[in-house]
Amino acid sequence: MKESVVIKSNAYGIVINMDSEVPFDTLLADISKKFKESAKFFKNAKMGISFKGRELTDEQERAILNVISENSNMEILCVVDNGSLEEQVFKNAVENKVAEIDAKDGQFYKGTLRSGQVFEAETSVVILGDVNPGATVISTGNIVVLGALKGVAYAGGNGNEGAFVVALEMSPVQIKIGDKIARCSDTTSIFKKRKKKVSIEPKIAFVEDGNIYIEPVSREVLNDLRLK
Amino acid sequence: MSEVIVITSGKGGVGKTTTTANVGTGLAKLDKKVVLIDTDIGLRNLDVVMGLENRIVYNLVDVVEGNCRIKQALIKDKRYPNLYLLPSAQTRDKTAVTPEQMKKLTDELREEFDYILLDCPAGIEQGFKNAVAGADRALVVTTPEVSAIRDADRIIGLLEANELKRTDLIVNRIRMDMVKRGDMMSIDDVVDILAVNLIGAVPDDEQIVISTNQGEPLVGSDALAGKAYMNICKRIMGEDVPLLDLSANNGFFAKLSSIFKKN
Repeated sequence: MKESVVIKSNAYGIVINMDSEVPFDTLLADISKKFKESAKFFKNAKMGISFKGRELTDEQERAILNVISENSNMEILCVVDNGSLEEQVFKNAVENKVAEIDAKDGQFYKGTLRSGQVFEAETSVVILGDVNPGATVISTGNIVVLGALKGVAYAGGNGNEGAFVVALEMSPVQIKIGDKIARCSDTTSIFKKRKKKVSIEPKIAFVEDGNIYIEPVSREVLNDLRLK
Repeated sequence: MSEVIVITSGKGGVGKTTTTANVGTGLAKLDKKVVLIDTDIGLRNLDVVMGLENRIVYNLVDVVEGNCRIKQALIKDKRYPNLYLLPSAQTRDKTAVTPEQMKKLTDELREEFDYILLDCPAGIEQGFKNAVAGADRALVVTTPEVSAIRDADRIIGLLEANELKRTDLIVNRIRMDMVKRGDMMSIDDVVDILAVNLIGAVPDDEQIVISTNQGEPLVGSDALAGKAYMNICKRIMGEDVPLLDLSANNGFFAKLSSIFKKN
């Protein structure tokens, strides 16, 4: 028997191909079943969606979206019109939406992040405390640590190299911004630093010309910064 | 009001058992009714450090499995009438007990004792989960070494996740002469990293090795480590005791180095 629903997906969106003959209720039940089965695969992906093969009323469209959100953890960010199914369209639509969320949102975390703890956010992050060695902060936006950053910071988690990391005491094990990774030099253990009495000042890490730079926070640096 | 205190560290060999023995004995000396529970099933040694090994008949697992009553398994200390030990089993492993059973056990002991001290095994697995299950507060023991501090940090994170009311830090085996030379992290450095309340620092003292081998906790003795442990006991009871000047310990090392300097 021919399936009434076929889901196709690319990195940024899914296309739902529907049979035009079956009654809408059956179709809805099939969609619900399909998404339940593939909930694990999609996890909490953020995607665009497009409908094909059948004319839908606004109401029906909403019913389908409801069924999807009930049966999986996917987040449907936008519905793309029929006919413009290029991956590029999806990509732009989703990324615009994600960037919009990032720019708007931020999260605070109060307390010390300790070894083994991971703080992950889909927004920018402000940590009110230290990030200890062995701890990790991951953000799709920017990371600000009002304390010592001694662990791993990963800003611009969706590949955004315009993101930055600020810390009052910048001595991370690793910093990752977008797809660029920097690690601390091998000689700067906590202990050696203490011996040398290196002065502690707020620093910012950002990407320029494909490299990660760490510089003291100054007016010039902040002026050059663009919030993306 | 009784308190259940877990003594933990993450890393092995930093002095959990020694601390448990000394703090427990110290609290007993201060006229509190104390029971020490060795939760390191399969690797029991709190009984050895306490010098009570030869009196073990029943153990923690026997109590939990209902082979005996709690009273039967409790070993009364030979020196202090209000100090008891509940030894661990040597022939079983950590899975012999569940966190729920431990919680039930500590809750029963609350009615009898002022302080219930749990000697936690190293690691963060089942043994650790058992030990922290019934605890109200924790003493985290660390030495001024990066590896011990890293593990202590992880442990403190896990304790926070377990919603213990209070976590205090003991910095063990500190050597002031090395700190002064800049070869060892100072107490302040350790507290800076771990960001928890410091309840005491214990100097590296060869008397500790001697007392451990003799099965006779040295808390309350004239040795600097003994004084440091006694102060920790008083602070646990809520007294405000100033930190000991550990550099006084330099007596021995200073003498030694001055001898070398003369030559």
